[in-house]
Amino acid sequence: MAAPLTLLLVLAVTIRAALFRSSLAELIAERVEVVSPITAWKRVVEGLALLDLGVSPYSGDVFHETPLIIYLFHFVVDYAEITFMLADVITAVALYMAVKDYNKQVFRKQKFALEADRYPLDCLELIRSPKEIYLLNPFTILSCVAKSTCGLNNAVVALFIFSTIKGNTLLSAIFLCLATYQSIYPLTLCAPAMLYLMQRQYIPVNFRRASFWWFIAQYLFMYLGSLFVLICLSFFLLGSWDYMPSVYGFILSVPDLTPNIGLFWYFFAEMFEHFRLFFLCVFQINVFFYTIPLSVKLKEHPVFLIFMQLAVISIFKSYPTVGDIALYMAFLPVWSHLYRFLRNTFLVSCVLLACSTLFPVLWHLWIYAGSANSNFYYAITLLFNVAQILLVSDYFYAFLRREHHLTYGLYLKRKDGSEATLVLK
Amino acid sequence: FTLSIYLSIYLSIYLSIYLSVCLSDSAGQFFSSGHTNNWAVLVCTSRFWFNYRHVANTLSVYRSVKRLGIPDSHIVLMLADDMACNHRNPKPATVFSHKNMELNVYGDDVEVDYRGYEVTVENFLRVLTGRLPPSTPRSKRLLSDDRSNILIYLTGHGGNGFLKFQDSEEISNVELADAFEQMWQKRRYNELLFIIDTCQGASMYERFYSPNLMALASSQVGEDSLSHQPDLAIGVHLMDRYTFYLLEFLEDIHPASKANMNDLFKVCPKSQCVSTPGHRTDLFLRDPGSVLITDFFGSVRKVEITTEAIDLTDPIKEVEERPANGDVHKEMHSYVDQLPVSEIIHQKPKQKDWHPPDGFILGLWTLILLVFFQTYGVKHLRHIF
Repeated sequence: MAAPLTLLLVLAVTIRAALFRSSLAELIAERVEVVSPITAWKRVVEGLALLDLGVSPYSGDVFHETPLIIYLFHFVVDYAEITFMLADVITAVALYMAVKDYNKQVFRKQKFALEADRYPLDCLELIRSPKEIYLLNPFTILSCVAKSTCGLNNAVVALFIFSTIKGNTLLSAIFLCLATYQSIYPLTLCAPAMLYLMQRQYIPVNFRRASFWWFIAQYLFMYLGSLFVLICLSFFLLGSWDYMPSVYGFILSVPDLTPNIGLFWYFFAEMFEHFRLFFLCVFQINVFFYTIPLSVKLKEHPVFLIFMQLAVISIFKSYPTVGDIALYMAFLPVWSHLYRFLRNTFLVSCVLLACSTLFPVLWHLWIYAGSANSNFYYAITLLFNVAQILLVSDYFYAFLRREHHLTYGLYLKRKDGSEATLVLK
Repeated sequence: FTLSIYLSIYLSIYLSIYLSVCLSDSAGQFFSSGHTNNWAVLVCTSRFWFNYRHVANTLSVYRSVKRLGIPDSHIVLMLADDMACNHRNPKPATVFSHKNMELNVYGDDVEVDYRGYEVTVENFLRVLTGRLPPSTPRSKRLLSDDRSNILIYLTGHGGNGFLKFQDSEEISNVELADAFEQMWQKRRYNELLFIIDTCQGASMYERFYSPNLMALASSQVGEDSLSHQPDLAIGVHLMDRYTFYLLEFLEDIHPASKANMNDLFKVCPKSQCVSTPGHRTDLFLRDPGSVLITDFFGSVRKVEITTEAIDLTDPIKEVEERPANGDVHKEMHSYVDQLPVSEIIHQKPKQKDWHPPDGFILGLWTLILLVFFQTYGVKHLRHIF
């Protein structure tokens, strides 16, 4: 049931405002699962204070945001809460309109499909829009109340998705460039964006066709051009290239090993210096590595590819927070028609719930009570990430299985007429 | 006849010169050590019953040092565990250093300053450097000055470059060398003798770099120090070899003995000790042959008896300084007034507001407007809303 958008927005804003006023705000702002060294609000305030004192905010290891964030918050630092709520609202609205548009296209495509046995419920009409899931997701609310700049990142990515689905190449390239400029990982979303836009303009995805390469060149030119412009503009803000090692060097070389819900910190805390570079490369490549195989497999379904890529980024990035998870979880209701093919819903939901509640418990036991140690916390982190990976791969399986059914029919029969089973090899 | 007188005069002159030279030599030797007080820091770092021998080692050195004259007020004794009252001790209130229970080194006047869990690396380093909290009693402090000779004896379990304290932490040779340098810079010792009886003990003195340090160790790097002999009645090894032979050597020293460091270096050769004892004298300014054992192990004061009487009844008059030119009056500088502290602390930092450069704002908004109009075109604006 699609509740009216405005009602939902009002409800979400009320919840956030109530939480902002309560004493929970400081508590949440310190939780390591919600804020990371890149996105913490405390660091933004510190960076701006340093700037007021005449010192570059990038000196020392405090501030790891991009200069555009400095510019933005220089003017709105007193209205920070409204800014973050606005960011959440923008994300939700963008996602909602994107998915509405996407649904319309999918409907149109399926009307023209001629398949023999299609199951009666093209249950795409029952899609719950992602806006509820995003706005009312406790992860999003936590992230917003903590004023983590992850909310702004999510807003940019959502706008990118919206402009891609609308078909606007220039805007999509610009928003993707903004998202990459904030944190490097959305670079992998180039591939699905290009695939989708090519699909929309009916350019066949074929290596031998000139139009394919021409489109890629156009898109890459717009993307790289705007990236170049943004980087030069950031140079002019503070007059120095200080921000490059502070932002991008920090993301890539992971010097800060504060525990978070990711996989990097524990591993690198116990690593010998000799092997650090090697494992750093391995871990970072892990994020980018799945782009090409997934794009090859999912070249007809770029929106699902966007979902998979977002999930991969938020699991394998160097400083993930619950805000990143909220973004890809917002997409889950778009694929709610895959529900009948999912195999692990109970397991995944139980593990995710249990881990989310265990995070603060084990943190308290480790840091305050002293009766646990980092292994306990890391075990929960691992389990959480495994559950997420299971969730994503489950959806992947369900998607592929549905595609298979669309091509070969729902009730499969062997040659002799007995019922057959599908096995995923 | 005149020749014999000449000869006798010549001889007497020669003899007097010789005697005076001798006397000045012995006078020189009389005052060569330069220290006025002695201290000893004796540390046993291991606990548990099977490390009985380490406590016995430390108590043997304590006994010798006390016997040779250093009072308890100048000894800091740190024992990590209590063997005499350990419930596994079949002979309670005793700690023996020799089998057949010949020598009870515990006695009834042992004063342990740091006991049990107080023996930590932090406390040891604080004792050495003097950086103790103000509430520490005098018996737990090393109140040495720049005329003190200090003996430091460590025993326990060690390895290459470290010594284990209490089975849970370690002190490294670098930390120890730095502590000694702190002591030197704070003028907390005149000369220091460092003796260590652990496995690979020579690694602990490798990193010393402060002057006037002499070090002895029971084994070289890569070698283990071995224990002497077990006592079947008590059930544990009673002493380590090096300290056993050191104790034997020290039992022959009395306050007037002239034995010097070269004899100490010969204690426990490889045939008796199995490990090779080592020593380091390159940082020591005097020749080890001229350093007496009692310079470190005893508190030997030489007394010079004089028959002169010194009159202490007249009050000492203050000598007034006249200024060079009478009109200049020197300002009395007090320490407080040298900096205008009140001005400094009440100064508030100037709040300079940072503004983004105009070029940046211009460029950014131009780009934003360009993109906007490119995407939407001016006339399509109403279709979006």
